[in-house]
Amino acid sequence: MSLPNFRSEFYRTIAFSYRNFIITRRNFFTIFETLFWPLISLLSVGLMGSYLDLTEELLAFILIGAVSLSIMQLAQLDVTYVLLFDIWSKSIKYTLVSPASFFNMVAGSWMVGVLRGFLAFMILAISGNLLFGLNLMQLPLYGLILFLMGLFINAMLIGMSTCILLLLFGYRAEVAAWTLTAIIMLLCGIYYPVTVLPPEVRVVSYIIPATHFLEFFRSFYGFHPSMDYSLILGYGLNVLYLIIGSFIYIQAMKRARKTGTVLQFSE
Amino acid sequence: MIAARCSDVWMVYNSLFSENKLALRSINLEIEENQIYGLLGPNGAGKTTLISLMATLLTPARGEIEILGMDAKKHVKKIREKINITSGNPNLIWSLTPRENLRYYAFTYGINDKRIIDELIEFFELEEHQNVEFNRLSTGNKQKVTLARAFVNNPLLVFLDEPTKGLDPDIARRLRKKILDLQREKDITIVLTTHYMAEAEFLCDRIAFINDGEIVAEGDQNKLKNMLKMKDRIIIDAEGEIPLLDIDGIHYREKKGQRYTFFVDNSEQRLSDIVKEVSKFVKIKNIIVKEADLEDVFTELSK
Repeated sequence: MSLPNFRSEFYRTIAFSYRNFIITRRNFFTIFETLFWPLISLLSVGLMGSYLDLTEELLAFILIGAVSLSIMQLAQLDVTYVLLFDIWSKSIKYTLVSPASFFNMVAGSWMVGVLRGFLAFMILAISGNLLFGLNLMQLPLYGLILFLMGLFINAMLIGMSTCILLLLFGYRAEVAAWTLTAIIMLLCGIYYPVTVLPPEVRVVSYIIPATHFLEFFRSFYGFHPSMDYSLILGYGLNVLYLIIGSFIYIQAMKRARKTGTVLQFSE
Repeated sequence: MIAARCSDVWMVYNSLFSENKLALRSINLEIEENQIYGLLGPNGAGKTTLISLMATLLTPARGEIEILGMDAKKHVKKIREKINITSGNPNLIWSLTPRENLRYYAFTYGINDKRIIDELIEFFELEEHQNVEFNRLSTGNKQKVTLARAFVNNPLLVFLDEPTKGLDPDIARRLRKKILDLQREKDITIVLTTHYMAEAEFLCDRIAFINDGEIVAEGDQNKLKNMLKMKDRIIIDAEGEIPLLDIDGIHYREKKGQRYTFFVDNSEQRLSDIVKEVSKFVKIKNIIVKEADLEDVFTELSK
């Protein structure tokens, strides 16, 4: 890629970071998304653990789940918003008629999601430590980075899935922005080990990257992963789904251009 | 040089949840560069669909589209770098200011040039409102920002879909002047859809009239005005070539493939004569008689 092309691609990606960042900064309710709900989640789960008189390890187990869920939800919302902001303001055709690609959209918006997710993680790590003695920095720095990055990429995949559903089914799919994370929460063992799930459901859990990242993280808190090579499995699945997701998006966009869904969003 | 060419373009909106809809049928069109080309027609005629196809937002069910010498199916990204589109519904990102919106859209074209944005803000007289959130602007100013957005990438070809829709006459008149100035200054090609005959008269070098998904008339304003004399149409699908007919009451004849349209003063009076005469030369497959309709009213208004 030549330098001018690289520069153009860079700006096309930055476009979506720029837009998401300004909207996030300007919207008061973003504070609720970034701070309020994650803190409520940490507090309620932590207090429940205290009430049930859980051991330090078990409390860490469920608090790690609460923290992971919060940051994954935050990071996926930014990717989901990349189409939703346009759909809500009925301006999607202007974004789609530009030479910016799906990669530009996802990467640019994801960067803001990562930023918000990381901010939330730091706040939750400090709050968790002060309130419940939870040390989220117990694992080596490289492990923490790999865990967070794996989770953020999983969040990107959830956001991409919602974008694909929006292109395929229009407004009907808007609800997916909030429900997909909930379904994943149920399956990937946010508050319990996946071994408690029925064997048929467990199979589904193992094909969700977040399951493996959670098991990797919890392994530093005395819990043995139910499968070996958690990190490799998690990243392997992430890469696989990124390839599949990109392919499906291209097909969904082709279909949307054929069926006119793109225009319906702008009317 | 040809800026846009459509060859036998058909468009069908397929839906999982409702009936498929045929939006355009056999569109053949050539738009030369550096002119303002108008697409006129009633609501639902297919104007927006046609410019959306040319702007690569949609793909046709059948046919070929060539934009700036490039195949619209194969060179989508390259075409998009050189074109832009805007709509009469002034919708941009609500919570961004005009300046932020223009900057964001410039970024999507790989452009980070403050000068272009400054120039557009000045040209569209948006200085006072450049830092006000889009959703707080008046409709006229929203429309100006939306129009300015269409020029952030210095396009060679711009599609304007009813750019003055819903504006009061004074703002509409000023915007038309801006469009004309921009076109003259930058030597760009503009394809414009409109309901307003005055707008078409003021701006357009050539006009195509679309009705029910078909181009029913095309040409410069003089040619279209000559067609005003016609009232009814007798449409004949024939196998073979119909020579020119010497029958009273036929004002004009149009041929598209094997379809002949006779514009006549009174279809009831002329039908039998035309059918009789045509039958001598060709086998008639189908006859449609259409009385004057909205399309004629539209044309009537451009007198």
